[in-house]
Amino acid sequence: MRKYLTMLMIAAAALFGVVPAQAEDAPEAIRIGDVGFGFGKPFGVGLLAIADAKGFIADQFKDTRTKVEFTYFTGTGPAINEALSNGQLDFASYGAVPNIIGKSNGLDTVLVASYGGTIIFGAARPDVDIKTVADLKGKRVAVQKATIIHWALIQALKNAGLSEKDVTIADLKNADQLAAIAAKSVDAVFGADFLLPLEDKGIARIFYKSSAAGPSGDGFGAFLVTDKFRQAHPEATQKVITGFVAAAHWLADDKNRDEAFQIWSRAGTPVATITRSNEGTALKGKYNPRLDEFFKARYASAIAFNKEQKLTRRDVDLATWADPSYLDKAISGLKLDGFWADRDAAGVATN
Amino acid sequence: MASVDLKTGVARDFGEPAPTAVWLRAQADRAGRLIARLLVASALPVALGLLWQVAADRAWVSAQVLPPPAWVLQTSLDLVSGGEIVSAVAISFTRIAYGLLIGASLGFLFGLLIGFSRRADQYFGATFRAIATVPSLGWLPILILLLGIDESLKIVILAKACFVPMAIGIAEGVRNIPPALKEVADVLALPPRTRFLKLTLPAIVPFFFTGLRLSTAQAFVSLIVVEMLAGTDGIGYLMVWGRTLFQLDIVIVGMLVVGVAGFLLDVLLRRLEAHFAAPELRHG
Repeated sequence: MRKYLTMLMIAAAALFGVVPAQAEDAPEAIRIGDVGFGFGKPFGVGLLAIADAKGFIADQFKDTRTKVEFTYFTGTGPAINEALSNGQLDFASYGAVPNIIGKSNGLDTVLVASYGGTIIFGAARPDVDIKTVADLKGKRVAVQKATIIHWALIQALKNAGLSEKDVTIADLKNADQLAAIAAKSVDAVFGADFLLPLEDKGIARIFYKSSAAGPSGDGFGAFLVTDKFRQAHPEATQKVITGFVAAAHWLADDKNRDEAFQIWSRAGTPVATITRSNEGTALKGKYNPRLDEFFKARYASAIAFNKEQKLTRRDVDLATWADPSYLDKAISGLKLDGFWADRDAAGVATN
Repeated sequence: MASVDLKTGVARDFGEPAPTAVWLRAQADRAGRLIARLLVASALPVALGLLWQVAADRAWVSAQVLPPPAWVLQTSLDLVSGGEIVSAVAISFTRIAYGLLIGASLGFLFGLLIGFSRRADQYFGATFRAIATVPSLGWLPILILLLGIDESLKIVILAKACFVPMAIGIAEGVRNIPPALKEVADVLALPPRTRFLKLTLPAIVPFFFTGLRLSTAQAFVSLIVVEMLAGTDGIGYLMVWGRTLFQLDIVIVGMLVVGVAGFLLDVLLRRLEAHFAAPELRHG
C-alpha cells in the first residue's frame, strides 16, 4: 500500500513539475523535422539527412539521456508547420516560402542556420519548342505553388524579362506534375532533381538548371528552432546547432561526396541522378550554413514574394527572426572560423 | 367603440368556429412541429459550436490548427466579399451539373438496357458490377495519365460516379414493374411507345429519383476529393490551398460550405423524390 502511495506521490509531483531540477537543460528527447521523399519510410536529402545518418547531432548528446529523433515529412511545408504548431517538433528544416508562411501565422520559430541550396530544374515537353526560360511565354507551366520552387520559377521568369502573367501556372504536386507533362496537359514543369529521370525516359527535356544562373537562382531555406525550446534548453539548442555545423563541415570535404550521395539516394533518387544534379557544384559552397548578407537578401526576396503572391497576411521581420549567435558559437567552437565564405547580398564571397 | 367591436368579434369567433380558425390552428400546429424539429436537429451543431468555442478559449489546440469561430466567421465574410467562395462554388457546381448530365443520362439508358434485356445483362452485367465496385477515385491515377489534369478528367470521374447508382436504380425499377400491369399491357396489346410512356416510365419514376439522389451524393463526394487531389480551382482546391497557406480558417470555411451545400442539395432532391415518387406509388 505504501509503495502505491509513494508512486502516486511521485506521479503527482511529476505532473505538477516539482520533480527535482534534473539538470533542467537535458531534455528527454529532441525532435527534429525535415522534408523527406520516397515510398514507405521517407528520407531526407539535405544537411540534416547527413547529420542524422552520420550521427553528428546524436554525438553531441552521447553521455546524456537525451534522444535525438528525426522525422521526415513527405507533406513538406504545410505538414511541418502543423507539426510545429502542435508542439510535435523542436527543430525543423524546410524551404523559405513555407517557413515564412508559418512565421507570419504566428509560429514562434527562430532561424538558426541556413540549410544551403536546392538546385531547381525546368523541364519541357520535347515536342514543344522551349529552349530557354524566355520561350515559356504563353505556355502552361506546372509547379507546386507556395513552395521555394514557385519562388524560383517566378525569379527565373523575371530574370528572363517575363512576368507571371506571360505564362499559365498550374498548381500541381510532384506526382501529378509528372503525369501532367506525360499527358501533355502542360508544356513545362519546374521542380527539383526528381525531374531528371524524365529526360532519360524521353518524356521531357531539361532546359533550365538554377545553379547555371549563379547562386541566386537556387532554392533556399533554413534550419530553425522553436522559441519555447531554446528558452527552456539553451545548452541543448547550442549542441544541436554544433552538430549541424559539424555535418556541414563533413559534407564540405570532397572525399565524402560519394558517401553523401549514397545517403541521399535512400530517398529514392538514384546516385547517378544525384551526381548529375550536382555536376559542377561544390558542396561546401552549396551547403554554407551561414546567416550572412546573401542569406538575408534571399530571405528578404522570399518575404517580398510571399506578400506579392498573397501567401501571407502579416509582415515578417527578418532582423528579429534570425539569431546567428548559436551558429557563430558553433563555428568558433569547432575552430572553423573563416571556413565558409561570408557572402554579400549578390552571393559574392567577401572574405 | 373599438373594444366593443373587438369583443363581439371575438365572441363570434368562439361561437361558430370558422374554417379559417381551424386552418390557422393547423398551421400553428405545423409551425410548432417544424420549430420543434429544427430545435432538435440544431442541438448537436450548437453543442459542437460551443465545444469549439470552449476549445479555442482554453487553447486546447493551437489557434493555427483550430482557429476560433470568430476568425472563421471573419474569413468567410472576407471570402464571400472577395468573391473567392462564389467563384469556387460556381466552378464546382458546373462540374457536378456536367457530370450528372452525362453520367446520369448514360446510366439511365444503360439501366433500361440491362433491366429489359436479360441477354444484355448477361453480357454486360458482370463487367458493370466489377467496374462499379472500384471507387471513382481509384480511377484517378490512370485517368490523369490518359486525360491530363484538365476539365475532362473531373467530368469523367463525376460522370462515372453518377452513372453507377442511376444504372442500378433504373435496372431495379424496370425489373420491379408489377407483373399484373405488364399482363394488362399485354392483353391490351399496347404499342411499344404507349407501353413505355404509360407503363414503364411511371413505374420507374421512384427509382429514378432515388438514383438521382444517390448519383448526386456520389458526385459531390468525388468532386471534392478530385479537386483536392488534382485540381487548380473549385471548392476542394480552396481547402487544400488554405492548408498550404497554414490558414486553417479557410479550410474550415470550405468544410462548412461543402456541408451546407451537400445538405441543401439532399433536402432539395428528397423533396423532388417525395413530390414525384409518392403519388405514383399510391396509384401503382
